[in-house]
Amino acid sequence: MALSTVSRVRRQLPTSPWLFAAPGLLITGVFILYPFGSTLANAFTDRRTLIPGHFVGFANFRELWHDDMFWTGLRNSTLYIVGVVPALVVLPLLLALLVQKNIPGITFFRSAFYTPVVASIVVVGLIWVWLLDERGLVNSLLETIGVGRIGFLSDQWLLLFSAMAVTVWKGLGYYMIIYLAALANVPRELHEAASVDGAGAIRRFFTVTVPAVRSTMVLVGALSSVAAFKVFSEVYLMAGPSGGPAGEDTTLVMLVQRTGTGLTGRVGYASALSVVVFVVTVALMLLVLRADRREDA
Amino acid sequence: MSVIERARPVERAAVREPRVTDEHGRRIRVWELALRYTLLLAVLAITVGPFLWQLSTSLKGPTEDIYSSPPTFLPEHPTLHNYKRVADTIPVWDYAFNSLKVASANVVTNCVGSALAGYALARLRYRGRRVATLVFILAMLVPVEGIIIAQFTTMRELGLNNTLIGVVLPGCIGAMNVLLMRNAFLNLPYEIEEAAYVDGANVWQRFLRIALPSVKGTVAVVAIFAFMGAWDDFLWPLIVLSDPSKFTLTIGLNYLHGTFANDERLVAAGTVIAVAPLIALFACLQRYFFRGVGEGAVKG
Amino acid sequence: MRISRRVFAAAAAAVVLMPLSACGSGGDDGGSTDASGKVEGDITFQTWNLRANFKSYFEGVVSGFEKKYPGTHVKWIDQPAEGYADKISADAAGGTLPDVVNVSPDLVAPLAKAGLALDLDKAAAKYKSEYLPGAWASHQIPGMTGTYAFPWYLNTGPLFYNKSLFKQAGLDPDQPPTTYDELFADALQLAQKTDGKVATLANVPTVEDFGRYGVELMNKAGTAFAFNDAKGIELLTKYKELYDAKALDPQALTATPESSGKKFLTGAVAMNPGSALDLDNFKKQAPTLYKNIGITDQITSTGHVNMYVMGVMVNSKTKHTAASVAFAHYVTDAQQQMSFAKKVAIFPSTAGSLDDPYFTKEDGTDETRVRIAAAKSLKNAVNYTPVLFSEQMKTALRNEVAKALQGKESPKTALDNAVKQCDTLLQQQG
Repeated sequence: MALSTVSRVRRQLPTSPWLFAAPGLLITGVFILYPFGSTLANAFTDRRTLIPGHFVGFANFRELWHDDMFWTGLRNSTLYIVGVVPALVVLPLLLALLVQKNIPGITFFRSAFYTPVVASIVVVGLIWVWLLDERGLVNSLLETIGVGRIGFLSDQWLLLFSAMAVTVWKGLGYYMIIYLAALANVPRELHEAASVDGAGAIRRFFTVTVPAVRSTMVLVGALSSVAAFKVFSEVYLMAGPSGGPAGEDTTLVMLVQRTGTGLTGRVGYASALSVVVFVVTVALMLLVLRADRREDA
Repeated sequence: MSVIERARPVERAAVREPRVTDEHGRRIRVWELALRYTLLLAVLAITVGPFLWQLSTSLKGPTEDIYSSPPTFLPEHPTLHNYKRVADTIPVWDYAFNSLKVASANVVTNCVGSALAGYALARLRYRGRRVATLVFILAMLVPVEGIIIAQFTTMRELGLNNTLIGVVLPGCIGAMNVLLMRNAFLNLPYEIEEAAYVDGANVWQRFLRIALPSVKGTVAVVAIFAFMGAWDDFLWPLIVLSDPSKFTLTIGLNYLHGTFANDERLVAAGTVIAVAPLIALFACLQRYFFRGVGEGAVKG
Repeated sequence: MRISRRVFAAAAAAVVLMPLSACGSGGDDGGSTDASGKVEGDITFQTWNLRANFKSYFEGVVSGFEKKYPGTHVKWIDQPAEGYADKISADAAGGTLPDVVNVSPDLVAPLAKAGLALDLDKAAAKYKSEYLPGAWASHQIPGMTGTYAFPWYLNTGPLFYNKSLFKQAGLDPDQPPTTYDELFADALQLAQKTDGKVATLANVPTVEDFGRYGVELMNKAGTAFAFNDAKGIELLTKYKELYDAKALDPQALTATPESSGKKFLTGAVAMNPGSALDLDNFKKQAPTLYKNIGITDQITSTGHVNMYVMGVMVNSKTKHTAASVAFAHYVTDAQQQMSFAKKVAIFPSTAGSLDDPYFTKEDGTDETRVRIAAAKSLKNAVNYTPVLFSEQMKTALRNEVAKALQGKESPKTALDNAVKQCDTLLQQQG
């Protein structure tokens, strides 16, 4: 009897929450935050890849302020959020609803819709460049229906737009399965109650589905805005390493990569840029969470 | 309510229509089924169309012009020769085995680690919980492009460069997966666990027997993301590993891009080899996170 | 609570301590410049994307070396095509660079400046005479004394053109352009006759093109760039004309060498620079094009064609200097280079090798014709791209050129800006 009391007390020791979180915190601390600490420190130096730097105060940040390319990058990364996030919050949810019901052959469709997610971005980039080329499939189709050829890969705005389309295309399946997992948790009774009340599909979508997956929508919104702001591969592969015509399609992370990597990389300057990207994404996240909380209240 | 009144006759009218049932015996109207399949096929064309072209290129024989304009979609003389050539050019099985090791380890650590941490963030009451949540959110926001060399230096100080463990470690408990798990636990009704708590179940028992089984779907999602992330990653394994015998498939397949000339058919075959296992895995795993969906099947 | 405060303390300590450990790259352990010791020990040799096709060749080289110098052991590792500069950067910063490394001149320059490349004028001066003088000099760095890598294989090539496209535009398919003026005139005619559907060139001018056009790229001391002179402006003005007439492909502003190669294969572009290797590629990938392929010499205003140089560098921090230098020399000596050249259409950088019958005797095939012409032109070829021209500078030039072509800036302003940016980057490289 006494033994069981002791063990029950031990079970409730307050250290267990930390035990639960410890592995995650340790890995995150050592391999993400600790290296990022060095980025923070480097942002105030003129360090280069192979040459140790000196403390330069805020010189890197001052240089950023006067760097046209930085503002181009900020503009493009921001546009990317505006273009991509609404589509990635709504379309995957609709797609999830479409594949949710077990009708014959649905397993095949679900797997097929997930294909773009599992393919490496390099492959995806190559395929889309080929499709959107001046003589590619899309332009052949457009010419047949009388629209005429469009220079998707030579105009700075069309390029950015094409890259956004690829991001959405590749992200559909990814967010679809997050929604599916969330939809699985929606109690069936809610829908049945609504059905009995005679609510139609569209009405049920807004009165039952959306409220039930609202927290997931916020999560998807947050994840996709962070990913959109940090976009690199899609634009890099479609617009080329120099960021489209005259670099007009450069995004912030492309600029980090361009200035900071390689043997001649300006690690200090690129670190300052990384810090700015980090601060903006933090602000973005706070904004989403704030909006979420307000709706909660 | 007017909407309800208008909707009801529709329900009644539907009873007389011919109908198909799904495996749960629920009725699906024919027009709805037709609409669903039309939409499914449309999305299918958009999502897999580009890959079919890649597949077709990989099946084209050496005499076919793969750059003809307009492009030809079906190979005239389909052949598996290109796949054999991939295996002859690089030790593709060794690379795939390394990738499998890395990806499996990544799945295990991510599922366990993020379920534990996610549960702590969502359910356990303790001081510092908000700080811990913040740590994971911040970690997710760190731009990885800027820290890769610092990560490598850390790994070298730990003596883990040029090992598969070094490849796995930095991503072995992804911050995003932790947050996904947290979100899943948050969505569980408190009542279930409260009942167990009253019955005297301790925190481990509640976690293992009640909370975890209820979020199986999200665990499957984390498993897929973890596997995929490790399988597709290129730059980090490239930087950590020096010894070609330890290379993962993504690095290995990059050898197919020749120094002197690119063979598109070979590259296409390599692409298919890289993607196929992931699709197979997804097809196998999906029933776990769709089981719940099936049980609670609802009309969209 | 105590625990959370401890976590904070640890995090804060991590942030503070990090710079110390992160900056401590390299250190002055190991490595001497004296290569006269006994050739022995375990060394690592890293190549760049050569394993897939030349595995047996390199295994042969390694075992040949180990037989010649008992007591040595060479571990050969090969890195894939992509991310090579990132890999080398991480290894150089982390102190894990292999002993003998396959490099290109632009990779050698920063490594040499950081003291990571062995000066071969000191450690291996006796081998200097074995190589073509131009090739040996390609790993010298302006502002530094010394040579920092053995020259390895060279490559250059002709200009390929699509005869059927020439015919379509009413040009004589057997009279390809041989000077820049002819090239520009033909390009304009091609564009005009095909309503802008067929471009002749697929790439915007790079620093190499400016060099071939006869522009002085840098000042004599190698301390500043100079490609914004009258000649440079003239070339860019010409390109602007071509771009406006669609004789320069509209996608050129975003093109990569790979994408422009594909455009040539699909017949969207009429000319493309290439090498002997491409012939085989055309035959396999685009048989229709291969039947119409025309081959002509690289166009230059200087009389010197452009060449690409690969080198083999010795890590100055190696524990086995003698063995590393001996191996780097062994893999680049005349005998090894000759047998490598026979495996794949590249060219040896060793003196006299290009006089081998393999590079002088016609046998009637296109491959041999291209090979002989290339070998002949290589004897006085130049690597126009300055070794100090970094990736960042390439991007700066490319983007300014694009602005000029789009008409956002005059050619002169664009080149002035490019030179200014490159000079700044050059100073920042230290």
